[in-house]
Amino acid sequence: MDYCLITFSSSSGAIQAQRALKGHLSFQTMPVLREISASCGIAVRLAPDAADEARSLLSHSELRADEYAFYGISGHGPTLTAQPLFG
Amino acid sequence: MSRIIDAKGKACPMPVLMAKEAISAGESQFTVLVDNTTAVGNLQRLAANQGFDASVEEKDGAYCLSFLKNGSLPVASAEEPVCAPAPSAGYAIFVGRDIIGDGDRELGTNLMRMFFYTLAQSDDLPRSILFMNAGVKLPAGDEQVAQHLQTLLDRGVEVLVCGTCLNFYGIADQLAAGTVSNMYDILTRMQEAGKVISL
Repeated sequence: MDYCLITFSSSSGAIQAQRALKGHLSFQTMPVLREISASCGIAVRLAPDAADEARSLLSHSELRADEYAFYGISGHGPTLTAQPLFG
Repeated sequence: MSRIIDAKGKACPMPVLMAKEAISAGESQFTVLVDNTTAVGNLQRLAANQGFDASVEEKDGAYCLSFLKNGSLPVASAEEPVCAPAPSAGYAIFVGRDIIGDGDRELGTNLMRMFFYTLAQSDDLPRSILFMNAGVKLPAGDEQVAQHLQTLLDRGVEVLVCGTCLNFYGIADQLAAGTVSNMYDILTRMQEAGKVISL
């Protein structure tokens, strides 16, 4: 896995998640990968080793578990693969 | 003997303006005295853009820039446009604010970060990215955008940041990516570009 990606069911959910993660771990905001969704959306990118901590932080936030999803991303371009995590 | 232009104590953009006057008057050799490194950088860029060599000497906290016309490059006269727009000149991105669009600031901040994330991975890069007014808060304050700008710099994109604006917001010392610049250089990049995308 090159990095961990968190997607959200809404943009407001993505912003809520950023508030929950900010100050605890390093992350970047990026568009949802086209390989995962065709619609415009906000996703959060993390280092692979930060996935567990992010999952714990989000589980204690106002977001419900079905409002976000974790993916493990490997490769890029035509070779990109997105594997669901914590399924 | 070449003319000496004393621009010590002059605020940006006066040193550049004074040097530009000398160039417009057809002077091929002159010297400009300034007292800060921002002015040195601005004058060096002016020299490069106008076909001059500019050597710098520092003495007692002052800088002496000796302008000498480079015979291999033509100097634009006052009547000629500095640069003619050409379709092959690529494109420039002008960023005059720190969020994309109107409305919610938090959403606009996210959109701006996603824009630079995507741009840094793009195969079709701009020649230059130009920051003014609240836009300067991105290279001087937004850690994620600054990282993407560094990637773009490494890929050959020029990033110019308005020095007047940095000083206005009191964040000149926080600039993390890009070059402190001025209205002359920023306008020139717009004029050179085949198109300018404004955010």
